[in-house]
Amino acid sequence: MGTRQSLSSRRVFLAYLLVTPVLVWRLFTSVYPFLRTFYLSFFDHSPVRRTFDFIGLDNYVALTRDANVSATLSFTFFFTTTSVALQVLLGLGIAELLNQRFRLRNLTRAVNLLPWAMAPIVIATAARWIFHQDFGLVNDIIWRLSGERPLWLVNITSARFAVTLTDVWKNTAFLAIIFLSGLQGIPSELYEAAKIDGSDGVRSYWYITLPLLMPLIISMIIFTAIFRVLSFEIVYALTGGGPGTATSLLSYLVYLEGFRVLNFGYASAIAMLLFFIVLVVGLLGYGLLRRAWERL
Amino acid sequence: MDTYIFTRRLRATLFTITLVLFLVVILLPIYYIFLTAFAPGEKLFTKPLTYLPQSFAISRFHDIFSALPIARYMFNTTLLATASTVLALTVSLLAAYAIARLQFPGANLVMIGLLASSMLPGTATVIPLFQMFQQFKLMDTLLGLLLLYGSALLPITTWVLVSFLRQVPEEIEDAAKVDGASFFPLLWRIVLPVIRPGIATMFLINFIVGWNEFFTPLIFARGPGAKVITMALSEAQVIGAASEFQVSWGNMSAVAILATIPVFIITLIFQRQIVEGITSGVFK
Repeated sequence: MGTRQSLSSRRVFLAYLLVTPVLVWRLFTSVYPFLRTFYLSFFDHSPVRRTFDFIGLDNYVALTRDANVSATLSFTFFFTTTSVALQVLLGLGIAELLNQRFRLRNLTRAVNLLPWAMAPIVIATAARWIFHQDFGLVNDIIWRLSGERPLWLVNITSARFAVTLTDVWKNTAFLAIIFLSGLQGIPSELYEAAKIDGSDGVRSYWYITLPLLMPLIISMIIFTAIFRVLSFEIVYALTGGGPGTATSLLSYLVYLEGFRVLNFGYASAIAMLLFFIVLVVGLLGYGLLRRAWERL
Repeated sequence: MDTYIFTRRLRATLFTITLVLFLVVILLPIYYIFLTAFAPGEKLFTKPLTYLPQSFAISRFHDIFSALPIARYMFNTTLLATASTVLALTVSLLAAYAIARLQFPGANLVMIGLLASSMLPGTATVIPLFQMFQQFKLMDTLLGLLLLYGSALLPITTWVLVSFLRQVPEEIEDAAKVDGASFFPLLWRIVLPVIRPGIATMFLINFIVGWNEFFTPLIFARGPGAKVITMALSEAQVIGAASEFQVSWGNMSAVAILATIPVFIITLIFQRQIVEGITSGVFK
């Protein structure tokens, strides 16, 4: 009895020893800085003005009156909903495409992954050239088809779509491979049974594939939405948040306020707003997901 | 019967059109960046565009290598991506083994805590980290970047390794335990060989993530000593420019190619492993 107990306590001791490095590393580089951000959000803190004064909720009150913040929130909403919707629809389509049997299928699957593997900053910077009014690839194609050369990054609506489409180009591959492996997990007997019942492709997709994929689709919507809210590079390099503040995102605003204006207190409050939105999206999504599982 | 053949042909044609369209949408922009990087200066600006390569000018690569410490940037990028991956995998493997194999109170709490901490946005930690880095003299150092690159990889790596370990039967280790093998030889000789595919997969994905970092070095690496290749994109645009509004798209494209070729090679060779890694992170 005594040896067994000491063995088990030795095991527990070893376990704590093994998880300590990960926990300590995360504690110092993530958890503590996050709590500190929360703390700083109640201060007027700027290394330039040399201030460090407690001001209670003033930063948060200022948030509600800041036109940049409301413009950013409205673009964040547009960007997140449009991009996620397009990515999910196209991702389902590409998954179906890559699930067919055809020559060079493996190569096509690898090509699909290329945008995923590229750095977001590379794509965002290159997209400025791709959307160039006179010599960009997009306008060359549009010009050949319609004779027009739209000013992509100058007009509000088209700039918003340029950012969104670039984001869709980069990230749809990720959803496609996840939906593809979801498709591969559906037993083929289900489709054979439907075929005997006289169901065609469209109907069996609607009545078999989609319901079975639904929990996966919902969890990918949450995941993708959270990462859209957190996006930084795409507006940093493609539009600089412009024209005006038409394509500004919260991470970009934190960067500007924190590292260009050096307003650490206010930037921390914006960062907390960002965290709050991520939390709400995550919790809402989790609720949806649980309901989807229950229905299955 | 004729309509049957007709629908089949129609389907095949539609499928081919969709497939070609898909490949064009993915590959044409990439091809266009290559075209831009290798086009000689004046040939770049033509209306309408010429899609066939007119010449193969490597002068832009010469320009960016002589104006910027590109070799240093590439070295830093490779070092950071590799070292952060190796460190994060090592530390995550220890934690994953404890969580998957040694029943200890709080194991689930550790898993949930890691997941929760991975939801904390980088922008919500960056200001205090900036101040800490100044205080501990970690600004502009590779060590400082390594700490942050590695940290970002820990939660997901630990989760995926736990799921890989849980798929491997524990009995393989029991024999070694009876022999009284101590922990590290057991991990090294018995556990590691069994989950090597999982480790290899996470190595590839984490390397790509590290290679592509931009936000972290943008804030924490301001001197050339610790800068990485993704930061050369904007620097290359202004080489030889008369004003800040004159952008050298050719130089930008040349850097984009340098920053992209390594991850393309990895992706094309290890497509299967990467897909397996991504999906195992989602499904298990």
